[in-house]
Amino acid sequence: MSIDAGQRDYVSATAGPTITARARRSPLLFVGLAIFAIIITILVTQSRPADNQDLSIDNTAPNGAHAVAQILRDQGVGVRQVNLLSDARIEDPKHTTLVIVASSTFLSSAQSDSIAGYPGDIVYLGLTPDALEAAGPDLYYEYAEPGATVVAQCADPDAVAAEETRTGEDSISIGGLAPHDAELCFPDAEGGYAYARVETDLGARIFLANPHIATNDKLDELGNAALTLRAMGRHESVTWYVGSYADTTTLTWGDDGLAPDKITTNPNFLPPGTADALFALGLAALIAAFWRARRFGPLVTEPLPVVVRSSEATRGRARLYRRARATGRSTAAIRGLVALRIGQRLGVPRAAGKAGLLEAITRTTGRNSGDVDALLYGPPPANETAMMQLVERLDQLESEVHQP
Amino acid sequence: MYITGWTVLLAALGAVPAIITQDRGVTWLWMIAVVALAVIDAGLAPKPSTLGVRRTVPGSVRLTESTSGSVTVVNNGQRRVRGAVRDAWQPSAGASNTRHRLNLASGVRATFDTHFRPTRRGDRHADRITLRLQGPLRLGGRQQSVVVSDTLRVLPEFASRRHLPSRLQRLREIDGQSAVQLKGAGSEFDSLREYVIGDDVRSIDWRATARRADVVVRTYRPERDRRVFIALDTSRLSAARVGDAPRLDASIEATLLLTALATRAGDRVQVTAYDRVERARALGTTGAGVMPQLASALAGVEPELLEPDWPGVVRLVQSRLSQRSLVVLLTTIDTSTADSGLLEAVAALSQSHVVMVASVNDPEVEQMLKGREDSHELYAAGAAARGALERDTVSTRLRQLTAEVVTASPDDLAPAVADRYLALKAAGRL
Repeated sequence: MSIDAGQRDYVSATAGPTITARARRSPLLFVGLAIFAIIITILVTQSRPADNQDLSIDNTAPNGAHAVAQILRDQGVGVRQVNLLSDARIEDPKHTTLVIVASSTFLSSAQSDSIAGYPGDIVYLGLTPDALEAAGPDLYYEYAEPGATVVAQCADPDAVAAEETRTGEDSISIGGLAPHDAELCFPDAEGGYAYARVETDLGARIFLANPHIATNDKLDELGNAALTLRAMGRHESVTWYVGSYADTTTLTWGDDGLAPDKITTNPNFLPPGTADALFALGLAALIAAFWRARRFGPLVTEPLPVVVRSSEATRGRARLYRRARATGRSTAAIRGLVALRIGQRLGVPRAAGKAGLLEAITRTTGRNSGDVDALLYGPPPANETAMMQLVERLDQLESEVHQP
Repeated sequence: MYITGWTVLLAALGAVPAIITQDRGVTWLWMIAVVALAVIDAGLAPKPSTLGVRRTVPGSVRLTESTSGSVTVVNNGQRRVRGAVRDAWQPSAGASNTRHRLNLASGVRATFDTHFRPTRRGDRHADRITLRLQGPLRLGGRQQSVVVSDTLRVLPEFASRRHLPSRLQRLREIDGQSAVQLKGAGSEFDSLREYVIGDDVRSIDWRATARRADVVVRTYRPERDRRVFIALDTSRLSAARVGDAPRLDASIEATLLLTALATRAGDRVQVTAYDRVERARALGTTGAGVMPQLASALAGVEPELLEPDWPGVVRLVQSRLSQRSLVVLLTTIDTSTADSGLLEAVAALSQSHVVMVASVNDPEVEQMLKGREDSHELYAAGAAARGALERDTVSTRLRQLTAEVVTASPDDLAPAVADRYLALKAAGRL
């Protein structure tokens, strides 16, 4: 009010409640926030799921191959695991041993072909018929009596160093003659071999028929460690592939089949750094959003009145008439109003009744009394067309009365 | 806390090192640094509690007219304060020019004007005063809102005051003060004077003429010091909109015009706004104070979604009036009002008072009456005609109860009520 404004004191902003005060008022909110933060932190830090894949180098369980990888790393061999063949991207095949851990059910023939064409050494942990076939025409895949201890009995230095190993469920057999460039070791009682080494033009193909000799559990038994480590540690790096149904890609190495790292569109048209500048501007736009989103004080509400149109009841009644096609009722109302207005115009009192009104109208307009009677008090129109005609004639009558 | 456009600009400048280094890491570092700077700047800004604010509001303003208030900010702190201030009002207060830049040295105060052009009648409330205090780098600052409650009373528009001069002219004609003599006007005996040619021979007082040698005529003037009681119906039917405004607004216009006119005519006016309880009243004032009091009383009257309590109105009128008066009921004539007890109330009131019932006609319904284009419009015309007949029935019954009935479109209601009042006055029925 203007009168007392002069005496009014200045109002100061009171400091908002501190965080501790807010925490005291609504502790649940803060506890909830803390739990949320802890859960998020745990989820982020523990986001790598535990690896329990057979012969995976990150798997420290008995069925994993963490020990092999760790020993190889200690010896200066870089070990890298890929779960997609296309992720292999082996840069230097001549100095990279490819270890394939995949049963034949996982590998399609295209994948097997791409592996077979690898221009470097391959160690197969476990057998697949396709790989055996690709390595030598006379090598076959056979079931074996598992658990038997077998002795090297060959000239291969790795096998000789290992001396003994144990058979798995599979073994390698020779169809006819042994290929001249193949060395087969560890024969079992049924004539199968647990180890094969085939020198091809592309590189050595080493088959370890029993993959379990490389597991954390069995690595320290017999000569398993010597056999696997010597086979895999030949070169300075190892690419370890563990197959799965999820992988349908084929092996990549060198520049061959290499997917581009970044997609650059028309790099000639855009100056270098455009993408980085756009990135920076995008972040700036994010900050701009915060700048604009901060209101200068809260929104002020307006209590709005109820808006009901006065004509709504009449319109509702009109809709009812229309739905019921109430031509009679509608016309009766119009007739009544016309009669009322004519009566007022001609000064006919209500008490005069129908006869008085009719007489006044015929006197004023010179119309036939029966005609006017039919118009104002006749039967209701049968349909909408009749209603329209009747109302038109009523209007005409009214205008005649108003302008005699 | 808020950030300024400078922060955004600084962030956007991060594109330059991004182009030079072509390293996303640099960009991230830049952005984090910019945000950190803004946060630090906000922390360095003066505290809003060092400022004092005060609002000055004009007492009242008439709807559609404009006025201005002000906000004064004083810097009680030791530091110079830069920033902005916002004077927040609810939208219908029509406040403009509400945001101002602030630059105050220690101990200095500044006053900023806020302009108002209200869009709704009633009490318009102020919201908070929001302060923004910039940090030394102008990148960010502190923001806080201060609750300062104030109210701007928006009086009814009184658009019908343009009809007032012509009605006052008519009043003077009745009164005989005007140069134009209106013969036979008024009913209250004023004085005797000598007959001059042109006087109505019917006004010759034969007895006085017999006593004197000259022919003497009586002169009359309209009654003065009569009572007018205006009751506004604020029940549910007055909430219905006719055109853009509720029916109540037309009633308020009529009340204002009639009160202005009746007060000039020397009558005493009492006003009440009533549905089931009395919402507003204006009585007991005379002279120049009547109109401001009435406008202020009616400013905050809003329609209530209630059935009217007509017996209550009758009791109220009877308790406030002791002599024969004109009772004006500003309501809605409708079959439903007839059912709600209006007829009985009028019957009771007209035994001791002159009753006028005024109601707003809906021009939209009048328009529907004329629809002849197709069958839809004919049905609408039928429905409108049915409503008109029903209203006419109620009006007729009210007239049979010797009440005066005035119906007009919203804009015409006020002059129509004023005219009927003048007619009653001229006829000496008050």
